[in-house]
Amino acid sequence: MNFDLNILFDNIGAISNGFVVTIGAWIGGVVLGIVLGLLVAILHRFGGKPLKALLRIYIEMIRSTPFLIQLFLLYYGGPTLGITLDAIPAGVLALGIYGSAYFAEIFRTGFNSIPSGQLEAAECLGLSRRQVILRIQLPQMGVLIMPALVNMVTILLKETPVLSIITVPELTLVMTGIGSETFAFAEVLLVLCIGYLILVEATSRVGQALEKHIGRYLDHRTQQIKTPEEMA
Amino acid sequence: MIDFPLLVQNLPQMLTGLLATLGLSAVALLIGFLIAVGVCTLRLAPQPMLRRLGGAYITVFRGIPLLIQLLFIYNFLPRMGLGVSPIVAAVTGLSLCAGAYIAEILRGGFLTLSPGQAESSKMLGLRGWTIMRRIQIPQVVRLTSPALVNEVILLIKASSLVSVVGVAELTRVSQNIAASTFLQLQFYFAAAVLYCIVNVTLALLGSLLEARMGRVRI
Amino acid sequence: MLNKSNTRALCIGLLASLFSISVCADALDEVKEKGELVVGTEMQFAPFDFLEKGKQTGLNADIFKVVGEEMGVEVRFLDLPWASVLPGLSAKNFDLVGGPLIVTKERKKRYRFLTPIAEATVALLKRAGDDSITAPEDIAGKEIGAGQGSAQLRALEDYTKTLNTPVEIKGFVDNNQAYAALAVGRIDAVANSLPNIGYVAKQRPNTFEVVQPPFGEPAYFSYMGRNDEDSRALLDAISSIISEMKADGRLAELQEKWLGQSMDTPTGDFEPAM
Repeated sequence: MNFDLNILFDNIGAISNGFVVTIGAWIGGVVLGIVLGLLVAILHRFGGKPLKALLRIYIEMIRSTPFLIQLFLLYYGGPTLGITLDAIPAGVLALGIYGSAYFAEIFRTGFNSIPSGQLEAAECLGLSRRQVILRIQLPQMGVLIMPALVNMVTILLKETPVLSIITVPELTLVMTGIGSETFAFAEVLLVLCIGYLILVEATSRVGQALEKHIGRYLDHRTQQIKTPEEMA
Repeated sequence: MIDFPLLVQNLPQMLTGLLATLGLSAVALLIGFLIAVGVCTLRLAPQPMLRRLGGAYITVFRGIPLLIQLLFIYNFLPRMGLGVSPIVAAVTGLSLCAGAYIAEILRGGFLTLSPGQAESSKMLGLRGWTIMRRIQIPQVVRLTSPALVNEVILLIKASSLVSVVGVAELTRVSQNIAASTFLQLQFYFAAAVLYCIVNVTLALLGSLLEARMGRVRI
Repeated sequence: MLNKSNTRALCIGLLASLFSISVCADALDEVKEKGELVVGTEMQFAPFDFLEKGKQTGLNADIFKVVGEEMGVEVRFLDLPWASVLPGLSAKNFDLVGGPLIVTKERKKRYRFLTPIAEATVALLKRAGDDSITAPEDIAGKEIGAGQGSAQLRALEDYTKTLNTPVEIKGFVDNNQAYAALAVGRIDAVANSLPNIGYVAKQRPNTFEVVQPPFGEPAYFSYMGRNDEDSRALLDAISSIISEMKADGRLAELQEKWLGQSMDTPTGDFEPAM
């Protein structure tokens, strides 16, 4: 167990690449997931019955099946439908689609939490739908759903090792590859454990700081946004 | 487009895999629950050292991705003299992970119990563990049952990863069939449908429980 | 003279020797006691180890049937993903690795190989009718797949250094996934040992074709166990059963059945080319 550090230093190039791919795939998945999820949530809220039903099926199917199966469907099943993606794009897309279902639900709860009185008042004042969404709902929602968002972002980070199974060269694949080459499997796994722990803890801390910062605007007893008088 | 004969031919195998998935998840749920009660007790203990211990468990097992945990248990622990078979590694990994999540769920439940109950039980002469067992835990389980059902769903999905330690559950079985027939889309979709059926049913059960919760006052 | 202190010393001595005898039980004794030999392998490695309708079949199953019969034990196979196999062996999760694996210098340093059972020279599998690859050199600049962490991938890495345009190498969790990727056009070829891709090409002649000649150094397949004192007797026993099978033609029969031809393999210790 004492050649731990040497192996790391010898392969620092490959390890950094793996790290970059992990972070890149994670952020790509998060952004795609949030954008797609927001789209789905908005369409669901303002769409007609058939669209609502279709979106409901989309959300339920994604939330009821393992991420690994979704990944296999896209990467190995995709070509049969004419979708042949390389490993990294497939990984990011799968992460994004997986996340979108959960983000859509989070946004839905967010939308529902805005008192309808506000929306009615906005309508009376003649605000367009777009203005209502952008200027009234989203900003207030943001405060309420921040914890759930942070939680989901962390979950997506913890799903990135699964991408190694379809050969995405992220941290887990790189490290286990080094393990097989140097036969130092156990040491490599230990490093992986510590590495991910640090990443997850860091994300958690950042999330908590964000929540605190935004939480200034939230009256915790009533879970309502503070009025300007209360904020003073 | 769909090769029905091959699908039907391999269906028994897939169903066996599904059974393995459900079995694994059930055992992991049970063991995870026991672990969770232990961790929760630590978290709610008066001594700060114990609280930190409980907190550390949750940080570790919720922080490290499950895939890494499984590989670690299967490949690293034996070096320290604890050799494990694939199934034992799978159940251990799933249970330890589930334990961390369930502990958090239970903790939320415990915190909503009125402390008056524990006090009056003590005055009636009941001992700490009995209070836990007969009064608090049943209430907490009832309170948190929707969240627990959700945890079962998560566990069933997470079980797909134990294919990396070679356990023949639904995902691994689908992989094998897809490999020999080259009909990936068909069989992974079939696996997805099977998972869906199980999890949607469980989700409905969860909603039912949640609805009944609304009518119960504790 | 048997006085008190002498007696005590004698007793301690006897106990110590009894204890050391019982501690001397090694892997072979354990296997015979349990009545079971546990072999770790990866069942996505036709025609050596693969699943037909969920049942294990292939050359390994046939060879180990003979081994089990002659040793008087049951043989149990563990189907593991390849990445878990070598770590699992080191971790004593099972008695030896089925595989089989290519005998390489690196592996010989850390593990012990039994007497080889087949040729393993690495070659390329391409899509049937793909005329852009007629000889190994034609893969320059293309995307080639191989099993992650395998000696075949290492052979590919060595080979690509000799080409003027390097190859883009993709490591797959197992060879079946690599074949699947090849079939849908995601990669241009798969590097694996000749017996394996020969079998795959025979099963699906409309999808796959072997690229002749093999590009790898001459290599051989073997079963592999731990390099320690504990496993020595067990591995000796299994190795000698296989040597007998080589001598009396039973192995040649199985090779013809699964690999299409009988093959010469070294009988004694040899220095691997890889």
